[in-house]
Amino acid sequence: MTPLLEVSGLRAGYGQINVLWDVDLTVEEGKTTVIVGPNGAGKTTLLRTLMGLVYASAGSMTLHGQTLKGGKTWDIVERGMVMIPEGRMVFPDMSVLDNLMMGAYPRAGRADWETRLERVFAMFPRLKERRGQMAGLMSGGEAQMLAMGRGLMENPQVLLIDEPSLGLAPVIVDEIFTILADLKAQGLTIVLVEQNTSRALHLADHVYLMRSGKTILSQPAAEVDLGHLHDLYFARDGGSAAVG
Amino acid sequence: MLELILQALYSGLLAGGYYAMIALGLALVFGTMRIINLAHGELVLLAAYVAFEMERSFGWTPLASIPVALVVVGLTALVIYLLIGRIRQDRELNSLILTFGIAIVLTNLILMIWSADIRSTSNSWFMDGVVLGDTLFSMRGEVIFCVIGVLLLAATYWWLNHTWQGRALRAVASNRDAAKLMGVNPARIEALSFLVSGVLATFAGVAVYTASVVFPAVGHNLTIKAFVITVLAGMGSVPGVLLGAVLIGVGETLTTTLAKPSLQELTGMVIFLLILFLRPSGLFGRKGMVKK
Ligand SMILES: Nc1ncnc2c1ncn2[C@@H]1O[C@H](COP(=O)(O)OP(=O)(O)OP(=O)(O)O)[C@@H](O)[C@H]1O
Ligand SMILES: [Mg+2]
Repeated sequence: MTPLLEVSGLRAGYGQINVLWDVDLTVEEGKTTVIVGPNGAGKTTLLRTLMGLVYASAGSMTLHGQTLKGGKTWDIVERGMVMIPEGRMVFPDMSVLDNLMMGAYPRAGRADWETRLERVFAMFPRLKERRGQMAGLMSGGEAQMLAMGRGLMENPQVLLIDEPSLGLAPVIVDEIFTILADLKAQGLTIVLVEQNTSRALHLADHVYLMRSGKTILSQPAAEVDLGHLHDLYFARDGGSAAVG
Repeated sequence: MLELILQALYSGLLAGGYYAMIALGLALVFGTMRIINLAHGELVLLAAYVAFEMERSFGWTPLASIPVALVVVGLTALVIYLLIGRIRQDRELNSLILTFGIAIVLTNLILMIWSADIRSTSNSWFMDGVVLGDTLFSMRGEVIFCVIGVLLLAATYWWLNHTWQGRALRAVASNRDAAKLMGVNPARIEALSFLVSGVLATFAGVAVYTASVVFPAVGHNLTIKAFVITVLAGMGSVPGVLLGAVLIGVGETLTTTLAKPSLQELTGMVIFLLILFLRPSGLFGRKGMVKK
């Protein structure tokens, strides 16, 4: 079976500065792929490049076997790949409901928005309670849920999620991971970027480690040794026993 | 004296109706494109001169010329939009130079075609007096276009809040990348904002021609007023635009009544400086909006 999303030799960056150096990535349908890596490794840049927000200067990337290169973000969304961005990026001056409705903006979504909204409300009851509130007045956890709900309104086949747990209280992180597990159980293909390595590993089918713009490790989750992963993560030499 | 002041308040309120239409158009384009269209007042003026030409050549009432003006102004707005689209670098800054240039070209075109004479409607129906409560006087045209202005503003407000395209416009103004991730093509929304801005400018232009007077330099003044109102409103709040417009309108008529008509153009600037000094993010603005 051909992978749903395939990236090879991808290079991308900002203007003169190159960030991604020949990144390879394979995402199987229905699986959860977790990308971990230290700050500045290029994880966000990778997701943004996939979505057409950052220009890819070399390499290839395909979704369903069709190229993503040069694709416009709004077309990629209609092709079924959706990103829930780092830092949530909700529309602060718009109500929760209006934010969610933006997720149904593509033509297919407009016809179907009420069903999708019901589904999202069932998943995030708090959003239903707060539907009339301005998104800018929400707490960090609520904003993350809104960002996720808004992304799910787009009815994705592949969901890219960038650091959903960043800066949130442990209870909220639990809630978010429960929802991710539900989504996985429903068969959604997920690409999750997380710094919370141990948390993310529970969910993962496959793990990538990125450092300095490269994927330096690619392993099925079952084979990942957390100690070894952390050594690579923090660029420590020596074996897996060196956890300090 | 009190009567004079009440009269000034009333006249200023009526002027606020079309000032608001002009300012909202400017604010919408600023919201989506981060561009201040310095030729916006000239678009308004163009509509006024179309109304003048239709009246002079065919004897049409100003209201009847609105569809023609919509086409002329709409096409001109589209040309401006396409020219801005050709800017490759530093769009925010370079667009100022570009639209300033377009404004000069348009002013001179108007001067060439229609000369520098002061024009106003000769349609007596619009100039008939309407007296409110025995004391407040206005022309029928002023009242009609104030009502049209408020209705159009309400319609735009509704459109922004309750339609897919209106919401998309707010989304693009709020966070461009996030809007793209929602499947929005920002270029389309930008064009749409220009078009809506053109529609508002058209109605405002016909209003100015009917309720006031026009000459080629008016366009420039209107751009400045619209800019002042937009900043007062805190960029992109419809109720704020209406309030700011009324404030400027009333300020001007009060100046004319209490001081000198020649100081009228200064009033807007004084109010502008005062409010920026006391409330730097505008009447309705939130903190942080000024930074953008
Ligand atoms: N808009 C930008 N312009 C220039 N350089 C950028 C930009 N965004 C990111 N970078 C640079 O690209 C590199 C990778 O950043 P990126 O945000 O992709 O890392 P990340 O792995 O997501 O890090 P984090 O875990 O902190 O989110 C960094 O060196 C960063 O400074
Ligand atoms: Mg990141």
